[in-house]
Amino acid sequence: MSAEIEIRNVSKSFGSAKVLENLSLSIPGHEFVVFLGPSGCGKSTLLRMIAGLESVEDGEILINGERIDHLPPGQRGVAMVFQSYALYPHMTVRQNMTFGLENINVAKDVIDARVADAARMLEIGHLLDRKPGQLSGGQRQRVAIGRAVVKEPNAFLFDEPLSNLDAALRTRTRIELAQLHQRLRSTMIFVTHDQIEAMTLADRIVVMNNKKIEQIGAPMEIYDRPATRFVAGFVGTPQMNFLDVTAARPGALGLSVACGPKLSIDTAVAPDVAGEVASLGIRAEAVSLAAPGEGQADGVIDVLERLGDRSLAHVRLDDGQMVVANESGQTRLGVGARVALRFDGTKAHLFDGAGKAYHGREAAP
Amino acid sequence: MSSGLSNSRSFGDRVILALVIALSIVMLAPALWVIALSFKDNAELMANPNSVFHPPYIIQNYINIVGTSAVFRWILNSLIVSIGLTVGTLVLSSLAGYGFARLNFPGRDILFVVVLFGLAVPEQAVLVARHQIFSILKFHNTYQGIILPGLSSAFGVFLMTQYFRAIPKELDEAAMLDNASRFRVFWKVLLPLTLPAQATLGIFTFLGAWNDYFWPLISATKKEMFTLTVGMASTQTNFAQSEGIGYLMAQAVFAGAPIFIVYLFFQKYIVTAVSGAAVR
Amino acid sequence: MTAVQAPRKPSHGPHSPDWKNALFVAPYLFFFVTLLVFPLFWGIWLSFHKADTFSSGPFVGFGNYVRLFNDKVFLQSVGNTFYFVLLTVPTLALIGLFLALALNARTRTATVLRSLFFFSSVLSVTIVTLIWRIVFIPQFGLLATVYGWFGATAPAFVSDPNLAMIAVAMATIWWCLGLPMMLFLSALQQIPGDIYEAAALDNASRWRTLTAITLPSIKRTFALVIIIQIVLQFQLFGQAWLMTRGGPNNVTKPIVLYIYDTAFRRWDLGLGAAASEVLFVLILLAAMAQYLISRRKEDL
Repeated sequence: MSAEIEIRNVSKSFGSAKVLENLSLSIPGHEFVVFLGPSGCGKSTLLRMIAGLESVEDGEILINGERIDHLPPGQRGVAMVFQSYALYPHMTVRQNMTFGLENINVAKDVIDARVADAARMLEIGHLLDRKPGQLSGGQRQRVAIGRAVVKEPNAFLFDEPLSNLDAALRTRTRIELAQLHQRLRSTMIFVTHDQIEAMTLADRIVVMNNKKIEQIGAPMEIYDRPATRFVAGFVGTPQMNFLDVTAARPGALGLSVACGPKLSIDTAVAPDVAGEVASLGIRAEAVSLAAPGEGQADGVIDVLERLGDRSLAHVRLDDGQMVVANESGQTRLGVGARVALRFDGTKAHLFDGAGKAYHGREAAP
Repeated sequence: MSSGLSNSRSFGDRVILALVIALSIVMLAPALWVIALSFKDNAELMANPNSVFHPPYIIQNYINIVGTSAVFRWILNSLIVSIGLTVGTLVLSSLAGYGFARLNFPGRDILFVVVLFGLAVPEQAVLVARHQIFSILKFHNTYQGIILPGLSSAFGVFLMTQYFRAIPKELDEAAMLDNASRFRVFWKVLLPLTLPAQATLGIFTFLGAWNDYFWPLISATKKEMFTLTVGMASTQTNFAQSEGIGYLMAQAVFAGAPIFIVYLFFQKYIVTAVSGAAVR
Repeated sequence: MTAVQAPRKPSHGPHSPDWKNALFVAPYLFFFVTLLVFPLFWGIWLSFHKADTFSSGPFVGFGNYVRLFNDKVFLQSVGNTFYFVLLTVPTLALIGLFLALALNARTRTATVLRSLFFFSSVLSVTIVTLIWRIVFIPQFGLLATVYGWFGATAPAFVSDPNLAMIAVAMATIWWCLGLPMMLFLSALQQIPGDIYEAAALDNASRWRTLTAITLPSIKRTFALVIIIQIVLQFQLFGQAWLMTRGGPNNVTKPIVLYIYDTAFRRWDLGLGAAASEVLFVLILLAAMAQYLISRRKEDL
């Protein structure tokens, strides 16, 4: 079972505070969509509106072409996994899973079969007669997913379901969720503020910020061609380097921009936007270290973060700007070493004053 | 902690210990005294008050209660009144607590504040008017006459509202997504989770009703409608005369025993209930 | 349920207002209005009328209140009530605090003693007064017996006008001690343990720990206990009625007993209603103080 979900011009406010503004989005069946954004961006509210837990102030929500925004939550054919799991504490695992089915008078043998299936798939068969209080965090998480699975919903809604797990369990559960999606082929909507969860799980990511959608796209599209400066800064670790642009003129590849008096970078961005450009963004992996004098700018290593497979060099340029660059894990360089930075301008992004991004031709995936 | 009894050695600790022991004796002595008296023959007591300290001890006074006293009728009345009021309070408070904590309806917040004001109204302020209303309705000397005023107490509503508010809202939402109706969410999901509060409120209400003296005294004027508390009080008027001290004390012990046993079993809940009621 | 939709209105969420939701509070509200709100206002109305059990007579304006404040017995009962509150409340608070400090330990002895000091609170006023009348009764009483051991005669607590109220107060303190102790105990248990560890590292003596850490932490509880007890003890009735009948010479007659006498023994409901409004105002003042203190959480 799978559903197309269509959101049309939806707005929402709590009291006088607007949380969503005229937002539209269309999710095809089978898709795993992640709503990604900082806290307070409205992503959870949007999810809860789809679930029917928040009223829709203005606009429409359709599932499979049918308007559902006036239906009570139970009749929308969606299942939700809550951040806190919201398991019924006084019911056993089995009762937690059957409660919803009993409410709509599903036949007893059907209920049993579905619970057995879900329990096998999620490996919680041995927990069925326990109460949530007797389970570990990871087990509760599985039961919460199981409670959603037995309903065979048109769409699964996940509200930051991994945030209460420890790091190792979170990684494992992430993989299992991906497998679950492949197996069930249901539409899934997943809300998170964790970009790694978004990148690894999503067919498409919806990046939200400040009541609006910033960008909708496949994970690598979001990473390689962020639509706005916000998306560029929010997605990717370490955060993209941003340098203020002081001058721009046509160069060898495209637009050549000056970031300060001594640093100029040749980008692949088409030169016709020269007038609007306000800042340049470049990820650490597009910046490498070289011997002093052999790059576009010289500086001193301020902090060296050793990550094992690679190191991140935080370099203070002679004009005071900070840039993070990629360096090998085995580097002999240390804090205080004098280095030069080489910028791969083809991978640079330019942004105008309003944050709109311009990308070079080569940066396309 | 700072001044527990356990690590006693210093002079200060000895003073504290002595004071606590003295207070314990003051607490205990009157009760033990009464129990001892209840096992003494009336005539022997009259002749020599000090006879309480030595045998013979007899149970004749208790046998007399079983044989003659109206105590059993009063116990029955007290049970009917206390259970009726407890059940009524639990039902009304749970429904209203859920309504105020979870459901939205026009005027809800103002209404809740008005109910909270009800907490500050003492019984004496409404007593005279209540009495007149019940006279007109011919409710005096009936069970409903004794029970009904207690149902207007705002304390249970306040307690249950607070308790419902403390339950995570996601549980309601999960149940709504599970197609449960409003009433089913209340009945199957939330109500079972309020059991500790139900126990606290139930015991508090029961104890209050069982021990209430003022309203039953005013409303129940016929001997056969007395509650135990009122009935016991009515026998005290002919103190130490016709029936004798031993007999009276046996009645006191007999009347106090059930509640004391309940106290021993539900001590934890009773303490929570009583202190919780006071802090509100 | 929420599926019913007004035309062209934004859709209903599960948390939107709905009249039907009020059905959950309606049963309670019925009793609240008929047995509390309505009698409250009717009581005020009655206090301006001459009334008996079934009917209310003519409007008398402030006549009942004038009669009330010209009635020496009423004025005496107000004085008696304040005297009683003064006798009981500070004693209850101080002994309760002492016991809480002494018994705030996880030992078995402390647990047993806490139960001992609380058990009297579950008894009814009838049993309490029965016990204490036997304590005070001449010749057979516990007090008389104890005095007898030393060859002395116990003072006639219940019949001596100077001692009668003290006797009522003693019985009351014995009866009500459990609550303040438990309130203080729960406040003490809410003081985080690491404060004490920090104080120990700061070389604080036990006395200093008590005065500089423990007592300041329960200041608010102390104020609450005082006010709760004032409200409770203002409503003195059973002990006075059962131990002394308000006598001798009305010296133990509190306001509530005056109301009971006036309204339900002399059937002067108007005057009784007026007296109960006076009591209501006094208690309301104390309740407002309690509200203010529980509001001022942060400052204290």
